[in-house]
Amino acid sequence: MEEVIYYLTQENGLRFLNLLEKEYQIYLPQIIGEKGIFCDFGYDLPKTDFRLVKYASSKISDFTLNPYRSIEPLKIFYTLPKEKLNLLDKEERIAILGVKNCDLYSLKIQDYVFLGGEVTDPFYAQRRENTLIVSGDCSAFKEVCFCLALEINPFPEEGFDINFSFLDSGFLVEVGSEKGEKIINDGKDIFSLATTEQISERDKKRREIVKNLNEHIKLHSIPPKNNLQKIVKDGFGSAIWKEEALRCVECGGCNFSCDTCHCFLLSEDRFGNAHERVRLWDACLYANFAKVAGGANPLRYRYQRLRNRYLKKFDFFPENIGLIACCGCGRCIEVCPAKIDIRKILRELSIE
Amino acid sequence: MKNPYQPIEAVIEEIIQETPTIRTFVLKPKELIEFKTGQFVELSFPGVGEAPFTPSSNPNIKERLDLTIMNVGRLTQFLHTLSKDTILGIRGPYGNGYPIEEFEGKEILIVGGGVGLAPLRSLILALFSKLEKYKKIFLCYGARTPKDLLYKDQILQWQKKIGVRITVDTGDESWKGNVGLVTSILKDLPLKMDNAVAVVCGPPIMMKFTTLRLLELGFKPKDIYLSMEKNMSCGLGKCGHCRMGKYYVCRDGPVFCFEEIKDIHDIWE
Ligand SMILES: Cc1cc2nc3c(=O)[nH]c(=O)nc-3n(C[C@H](O)[C@H](O)[C@H](O)COP(=O)(O)OP(=O)(O)OC[C@H]3O[C@@H](n4cnc5c(N)ncnc54)[C@H](O)[C@@H]3O)c2cc1C
Ligand code: SF4
Ligand code: SF4
Ligand code: FES
Repeated sequence: MEEVIYYLTQENGLRFLNLLEKEYQIYLPQIIGEKGIFCDFGYDLPKTDFRLVKYASSKISDFTLNPYRSIEPLKIFYTLPKEKLNLLDKEERIAILGVKNCDLYSLKIQDYVFLGGEVTDPFYAQRRENTLIVSGDCSAFKEVCFCLALEINPFPEEGFDINFSFLDSGFLVEVGSEKGEKIINDGKDIFSLATTEQISERDKKRREIVKNLNEHIKLHSIPPKNNLQKIVKDGFGSAIWKEEALRCVECGGCNFSCDTCHCFLLSEDRFGNAHERVRLWDACLYANFAKVAGGANPLRYRYQRLRNRYLKKFDFFPENIGLIACCGCGRCIEVCPAKIDIRKILRELSIE
Repeated sequence: MKNPYQPIEAVIEEIIQETPTIRTFVLKPKELIEFKTGQFVELSFPGVGEAPFTPSSNPNIKERLDLTIMNVGRLTQFLHTLSKDTILGIRGPYGNGYPIEEFEGKEILIVGGGVGLAPLRSLILALFSKLEKYKKIFLCYGARTPKDLLYKDQILQWQKKIGVRITVDTGDESWKGNVGLVTSILKDLPLKMDNAVAVVCGPPIMMKFTTLRLLELGFKPKDIYLSMEKNMSCGLGKCGHCRMGKYYVCRDGPVFCFEEIKDIHDIWE
């Protein structure tokens, strides 16, 4: 596909939504209030969170552009926390706006799980097919963000249908797929070709956030990406697992909020007189995750389960597909009532 | 697109009480399920649950699929209350199965513990259909008590073709055979270890000590085949439950040679 970058004015932003709305149910970021997160290291960080909710054009004022990732992981659009395993109504097509690059990276992991292997998951495949991803550059970051430590940029370069970069005035729009191209072609009149100045403005903003985020991440001394697999494997006997797991309350929040965690449980629910198959997100921090009949359980202790989560992300996935199954979104850090921090665990393992 | 999580119906054609706690369910699935010996299926009953079991029947007899199931918990207890003609759900087969082509020209030691003889029966029956291809087959089988021994009558038949040793952990008045763990009969084996493979299936603790014993006897790690039992939900390499090191047991196993897994932590737990 020809690399073309378009320009869209602020005012035409709404017309772009109208365009999308013709074919898709739109999900847009919405502010969910002040959370009062501040950075221990002095950065003045934003205090707001965003969630992705169904858009109705009458209520445009409820919606906003999110400078960083949403609260919910992107996976929630592809596998639901609990779902009947039925195919969707064919017409149900959605466009998700406000997707960030950490989410796009995680989609590679989810794709491997649900589309790869001998059997494709038809439910995931259908949602993937019916979804248009409109991603955006990050223009700020959260205290917990550490994508760059994993060599994931805070701006999308692949994996999107359409990407938005925010300029001081208006947007740059990049097309990443045929699906995306179709939308742009349908609305040719609202887009113009981006100028070299506009592109350098975007690049300057990108360099700026990379610089700031790198400085922030440096303070956490996260070991280099290429060492992580070895560090986690060699740290099998480390005391850190027991120390940290002492506080874990087994809520499973780290698993459920994680962009790359994918484990599930097949079960059944009663619907009227019939039992139907359902799939639930599962959590490897739960005590029975690996239990087998007769009481054997290779993940009997909480510290084994905490460690299991890291081995899965930093050893299993690199071994199988050459990718770390962590995108540095920091959702697990934010959600954990025990304040178990993946950055700290990786750092301490690297010191040992 | 086909729903890979949806079982098909299978009717129970016959139930055989093998031991006080183990029954064999002879099933006839609505659609043919062709399996390789050592592969497993997921068996379910609506509202009760689903669990993995390895067919214990001859893979070459396509019309029937036997599952030999021990009563250990929720689903298996329920299965033991069922009678003939009940309809169950089944999906599969999954996993790799035994690489029986690689056993050709070799001596094969088969070591079973308890209900672990179930998949091994399927293996033995599969080997029987090409018996001339293997140098020798020798079975060592252990159960808790004489009452817990599976397939007693069939073993008598097998003894005409292959070597068999049996042991029980605790004997009774009528028991005249060996008493002791299965490792106690793994000695002075009439086998040439440099051209032999061992296939082991049983409870984790039995597999652990059997493997250690086989290594002492001179078996190479690559010649010891183990059926690993891990918690499973999907059987399809997606749900994540059965991870062991870099493997999913349902996808890359359940049969592994010891060489592949010897460096993975906690494999026997
Ligand atoms: C590949 C494979 C082949 C097997 N073949 C046989 C066989 O031929 N005969 C036989 O008697 N048993 C076999 N088992 C063990 C059998 O799966 C368990 O006995 C069964 O899952 C027990 O279920 P339950 O509901 O009665 O037990 P409970 O203890 O009440 O429940 C166990 C819970 O853990 C879940 N679970 C998931 N995976 C397992 C597992 N591997 N073992 C135990 N629980 C699990 C179950 O779904 C259930 O929710 C096999 C296991 C595996 C992994
Ligand atoms: S492990 Fe934590 S930081 Fe990494 S992807 Fe999952 S939620 Fe995000
Ligand atoms: S979020 Fe924290 S407390 Fe909850 S299961 Fe994960 S590590 Fe444990
Ligand atoms: S049982 Fe689901 S991944 Fe193996």
